[in-house]
Amino acid sequence: MRNYIAVVFDDTSKAYEGLHALWQLDDEAAITVHGTTVVHKNNWGEYQVDSKDTHPALATAVGVGIGALLGALAGPAGAAIGAARGAAIGAASGGAVGAVADMNRADTRDESRYETGWVLGAGQTAVIADVSEDTTFVVDERMRRLGGSVHRRDYGDVVDDKLFADYPYDYYLYPYEYVPPYSPWWA
Amino acid sequence: MPDTQVKDAVDHVRASAQELYKAISDAAAKRGGAAKADLEAVPTKAKAAIDSIKGSMATQNAAAKKHLDDAVTSFEAMRKHAADGVKTTGKEFQTAVRQTITDARAAVQQVSEAVAAKRTAAATTGARK
Repeated sequence: MRNYIAVVFDDTSKAYEGLHALWQLDDEAAITVHGTTVVHKNNWGEYQVDSKDTHPALATAVGVGIGALLGALAGPAGAAIGAARGAAIGAASGGAVGAVADMNRADTRDESRYETGWVLGAGQTAVIADVSEDTTFVVDERMRRLGGSVHRRDYGDVVDDKLFADYPYDYYLYPYEYVPPYSPWWA
Repeated sequence: MPDTQVKDAVDHVRASAQELYKAISDAAAKRGGAAKADLEAVPTKAKAAIDSIKGSMATQNAAAKKHLDDAVTSFEAMRKHAADGVKTTGKEFQTAVRQTITDARAAVQQVSEAVAAKRTAAATTGARK
């Protein structure tokens, strides 16, 4: 089965350990990781997304696209969506580029379709990934050991979501283990 | 070692495609953008990936084959955009770089889906044994 997952950590360094662990699981052929990114929410409630600064407009698009993906993953409405509405989601690429996420549409969707709700709290970091997994146990167990809580939503449900037409989420995830040069992972 | 952990040509193509994507996107993210030298090696690398996929196609299951067919299309597009790009300058060159990145992203995605299909089939076969 193919799922989008969000693994929430209280600690940024642990989040990068989680990111690395996902790619390790891929290397062990326990799962297949199609793409990953890391989203941070700082103590002031601002979101930042790890991204290369390939183009200012693209960086903005990444911010908006990841915002939409967070909305699609986070449900039910009022949780992360409420927190994110109107918030600046920037692609953290050295000089962060801010973009106002169009979250207003996200909270009008059917709440019952979500497996779970979660909130990315201030100071927390989430690893977002698109994975194929034969069982959820492998990821859940590895992330639990690192202190991360896993939230997942069926890939097909996200793709079928009407927001997908505007934001092709796959595009915003790195198809390899990307860790930005300023990350605490390198410390 | 379980069947799922045996790395075959498709796994190697995936690793090459990831490297290629990384190299092009890193180059594009440089101050001043990508240079012609960054694109020059792309057609050769894409051709090598295509040859490798074609050589391994016969041993793959139907689902993996479908994804690999799509990957070949993306690699071909990448080849063309990169080869055309090195002959251009300015805005046209930057457009070619962006198209090459998009093609590379699609190629990785499709090979990755083939790998997932292969692993799922191997896991299912292993479970039946």
